[in-house]
Amino acid sequence: MFETVFSTMFRFAEVTNAGLAWLGAGFAVIAGLGTGIGQGYAAGKAAEAVGRQPDAQGKILVTTLVTQAVAETTGLYGLLVALILIGKS
Amino acid sequence: MNDFTLFDPMSSAVRSTLIIFAVLSIFFIIVGRKIKKLDPKKTPKGFLFGCIMIVDGFNKFITEYMDKDKFQFFGAYLFTIIVFLATANTISLIGLTPPLSNLGVALAFTVMTFFAIKIAEFKFISVKKKVNNLLGEVKFMAPILFPINLIGEVSTPFTMGLRLFVNLLSGVVIATMVYSVLHWTLGIFAGLFLHAVFDIFFGLIQAFVFLMLTTINISLATDA
Repeated sequence: MFETVFSTMFRFAEVTNAGLAWLGAGFAVIAGLGTGIGQGYAAGKAAEAVGRQPDAQGKILVTTLVTQAVAETTGLYGLLVALILIGKS
Repeated sequence: MNDFTLFDPMSSAVRSTLIIFAVLSIFFIIVGRKIKKLDPKKTPKGFLFGCIMIVDGFNKFITEYMDKDKFQFFGAYLFTIIVFLATANTISLIGLTPPLSNLGVALAFTVMTFFAIKIAEFKFISVKKKVNNLLGEVKFMAPILFPINLIGEVSTPFTMGLRLFVNLLSGVVIATMVYSVLHWTLGIFAGLFLHAVFDIFFGLIQAFVFLMLTTINISLATDA
């Protein structure tokens, strides 16, 4: 049974350079995982800070935006690598 | 995406950059001449009052994050940056290509930020202090820390330019993908949402973040 499955799979899915580039692009976007965790952590802490000190909301908002932008950078690099790899194929 | 070609034929991103430059220059020159003619004893009215309020609010906001003497030197540069970026990121609402969806234009901002930080260092801290910062606090770690600090000098502006580019590019890519899938009748309704989020909201946030990061980087480079 496995032989037929593998043979059909490899007959239709032939490994090409373009295909590997697309696969690499898919892997590169996994970088978004860390960005999501970082941004969520920053947003959660900001919500906590506003709950503790509602008067300082404006300053907390500015700080949150800047820190989230910094956390976003690595995810953006992943996206950039993915776009470059798509352009290769 | 389009390539960065400056002259013949001009890339659409560079063309919209030049259009924004021209429009903003004319606007600011006219407003500046009008404000110079104002009578300082009377309260200004209408449009000019709004302009003065915006500049005043900007001054108050930035001085919270920057020393007074540095703000005197860099205030005009920072205001130019935020106005240009806010216009450039929302320019696709009137049909022009957003300039920062081109890597060439975004890396120009990298070069500008690099020189802004360098000028701030040369103006506000001594060479001896700068060398000390590069070598690090602990002297026997200097051979390890010096290359890392040198990379940090270049990577900070580079990150800021790339951040602008990729944010705008992701918006353009997603909008293009949705438009290519949908029929144009549905595309009108999707465009309402897409442009509200990717052009206005993210564009303005990116402009603001670039302003804040430039401010903080200049303060950090000159403080320590």
